[in-house]
Amino acid sequence: MLNIISKTKYAYIFSITLTVLCIGALFTWGLKYGIDFTGGTLIEVKFENSLPANQELEDVLKDLNLKSLTLQSTGNNSVLIRYASEDDKINQTVLEALLKKYPESKNLRTDYANASVSSELKTKSLMAIFWAVAGIMAYIAWAFRRVSHPVASWKYGAGAVVALLHDILITVGAFSVLGHFWGVEVGVPFVAALLTILGFSVHDTIVVYDRTRENLQRSSAKEKFPEIVNRSLNETLVRSINTSLTVIITLLAIYIFGGESIKHFSLALLIGITFGTYSSIFIASALLVTSYNLQIKK
Amino acid sequence: MNSRQKLRLKFSLVIVLAILAGLIAYPQAVSKIPRLFGILDKPKVNLGLDLQGGIHLEYKADTSKVDSAQVGDAMQAVQDVIERRVNAFGVAEPVVYTTKSGGEQRLVVELAGVKDINEAKKMISETPFLEFKEEKMTEPEKIPEEIITSANEKSKAKAEDILKKALAGEDFAVLAKDNSQDPGSKDNGGVYDFQKKGSFVPEYEAVIFDENVKNDEVYSKLVETQFGWHIIKKIEIKGDGDDREFKSAHILISKMTQPQPQMDFASTGLSGKNLKSASVQFKSQGLSEPEVSLKFDDEGTKLFADITKKNIGKRVAIYLDGEIITAPTVQSEILNGEAVVTGNYTVEEAKTLVKRLNEGALPVPISLVSQQSVEATLGQVSLEKSLKAGMIGLLLVIIFMLIYYRFLGLIASVALLIYSALMISIFKLSGFTPWQITLTLPGIAGFVLSIGMAVDANILIFERTKEEVRKGRNILSAIEEGFKRAWTSILDGNMSSIITALILVEMGTGFVKGFAVTLIIGVLASMFTAVVITRTILRFILGPWIENRMWLVGAKKNES
Repeated sequence: MLNIISKTKYAYIFSITLTVLCIGALFTWGLKYGIDFTGGTLIEVKFENSLPANQELEDVLKDLNLKSLTLQSTGNNSVLIRYASEDDKINQTVLEALLKKYPESKNLRTDYANASVSSELKTKSLMAIFWAVAGIMAYIAWAFRRVSHPVASWKYGAGAVVALLHDILITVGAFSVLGHFWGVEVGVPFVAALLTILGFSVHDTIVVYDRTRENLQRSSAKEKFPEIVNRSLNETLVRSINTSLTVIITLLAIYIFGGESIKHFSLALLIGITFGTYSSIFIASALLVTSYNLQIKK
Repeated sequence: MNSRQKLRLKFSLVIVLAILAGLIAYPQAVSKIPRLFGILDKPKVNLGLDLQGGIHLEYKADTSKVDSAQVGDAMQAVQDVIERRVNAFGVAEPVVYTTKSGGEQRLVVELAGVKDINEAKKMISETPFLEFKEEKMTEPEKIPEEIITSANEKSKAKAEDILKKALAGEDFAVLAKDNSQDPGSKDNGGVYDFQKKGSFVPEYEAVIFDENVKNDEVYSKLVETQFGWHIIKKIEIKGDGDDREFKSAHILISKMTQPQPQMDFASTGLSGKNLKSASVQFKSQGLSEPEVSLKFDDEGTKLFADITKKNIGKRVAIYLDGEIITAPTVQSEILNGEAVVTGNYTVEEAKTLVKRLNEGALPVPISLVSQQSVEATLGQVSLEKSLKAGMIGLLLVIIFMLIYYRFLGLIASVALLIYSALMISIFKLSGFTPWQITLTLPGIAGFVLSIGMAVDANILIFERTKEEVRKGRNILSAIEEGFKRAWTSILDGNMSSIITALILVEMGTGFVKGFAVTLIIGVLASMFTAVVITRTILRFILGPWIENRMWLVGAKKNES
């Protein structure tokens, strides 16, 4: 049997360092928001023959006075054009200007959101994350309501929430770095990924807690709480790793073969779920033990 | 019925379900039996806009000028008008609905598989704006005399300069092209081909006919006319007497003059909102020269009578979308409230115009606040790629399960295949219920992810089983124990996934919703296949024969 609980100190140090680094990255670089949060337009245009140079495209669009215009070429001979826009009319003008200069070009997709839509999406996203955390905490507290000895049932809820905040922070921090160095944007899909990570991370934690609950009810009086927790962790270890492995396998399949549009979405899930597995093994239960130890000292 | 019989019945149900789901999910398997294939091939997965191409438009309706009690009616009217316009595209299943968002009234239009996205957008948001206008003289503002004088001095100096160059032998055609301000001739070297005498201003013709200029020679002086200063080159004269024709070239430097009063059209107050109906009719019998006949409502009839009375002998113009279509001269007062637009239409154009006019104007203005459009080929690529990713993911998970859990893994893999077939069947069959599920790209991601999560329940059960075996139980009772004990974990864990997914559905935007809905259905279906189906299959197949074949479950008995 592995003594996982005895390694708590290292797990705490590792997690706190990583979390602090992620918060640091967030404060220095922030996140690179997509147009669904900032408002504006994203147009993808595919060119028949060769891709025109960015400078050439900029010259074509120069007269339109587009604010914060960025051009980014993608793999399949197409360019992503982003700019701030307050009115849909400009989108038409941009497409016409491009078609005039490059009659063979093709508008693959257009995403446009004006400021009222983007600010609404932002609020909705924050509210969704808030309600998800609150809902999960309430559910765990309810599911573990009969377990109050030796650690109160709300502490299971709190432990799970700390673990999932840890997973979320690390994912967000990773995307702050990705955004700063590789221009990866976060939008509504990223929020969907975060909420899925929430659900999954808690799912993992619950399985371990469930086993702890079961073992508590059946254990002899001799066995101490930290030992029971450690035994429960060991008993569920293979399951935690295998489950995460199957999910990670499918996510890798989506990431590698699923195409551009959902690449970053699956990347967010990959990061979050990997850390979710780690935190349910090394953090969530350790928190219960730490709180128990503090209780005894009093 | 004893328990063995019950089990047999359950197992047969599982087999029937598996075959049914398999056939609905993949009807090509029976393509050799046309009758069966014909039925099974009917249900189709409803693909989202991102997978088949299409456009999602969100409009904000400005209801600030509408009484708050009537906002609902106004929005219904907007929806009706837009629906009628959208139906004109012939898109399979256009979706138009109103929604409220943060105090704003919104209208959402979704068109799947539409070919020309920009054309569709135009048809939706641009109201055909019909207007009747009458003639009006407008007096333009005067330009100060000294500005005109100084501008003309400059022009004259420029003209003299060009004349010097022309006389010095520079190419006349090039000079004309570079300098002439006569758009009708500058590009062909200033040349006017043979024209009848009398068709040009007298000052110009005087040079050609009266001055002693040779053919192909530039006249040595500047000629001033009402248009400006001309440098004239005579080319040839032919004919006699009054039939004489001449060919010449010139360079014009225009003169600035006071703007002339202009004939313009001014609004009459009669517009498309007074229109009762429009129809196509034909001028002469047969199908030639289609016209659009308009019939006004009471207010319109009165207005039209006033307008025609006031303007007898003058023109009344009919404008559509700000462009003049026709401006017939009024012969007499029209009292019956009917007007005809003759605009050189083809039958098709006339029909479209009539349709759009009848569809009417929007009761409140709308403006686009959000658009997502995907071109059809891009959607196709996304679909192929994500399906491929799904297949690979499924395959890898099955390989993993077989290696790690062997016989149990095989059963779990069968359950997983049933799960996939079941999901596809649910997608397809939902079309026959009011709750049609639209499969989007994130939906496929959610589906693929749910494959990974679906085996979780089995992993939980099997790990528990192995553990019980290690504790000394025999395999059969260990499996039963595994199912029993793993259940609470499965339920609690999946509840948390469902809670977050429900919140995502509540968030409501396209990407998130498609993902969350498939995830919820996936979690529910996977609980069913992983627990009920796997258990039934295992119970049916397993017997005492397994006991001495531990390697089949990949567990070792711990004797100590």
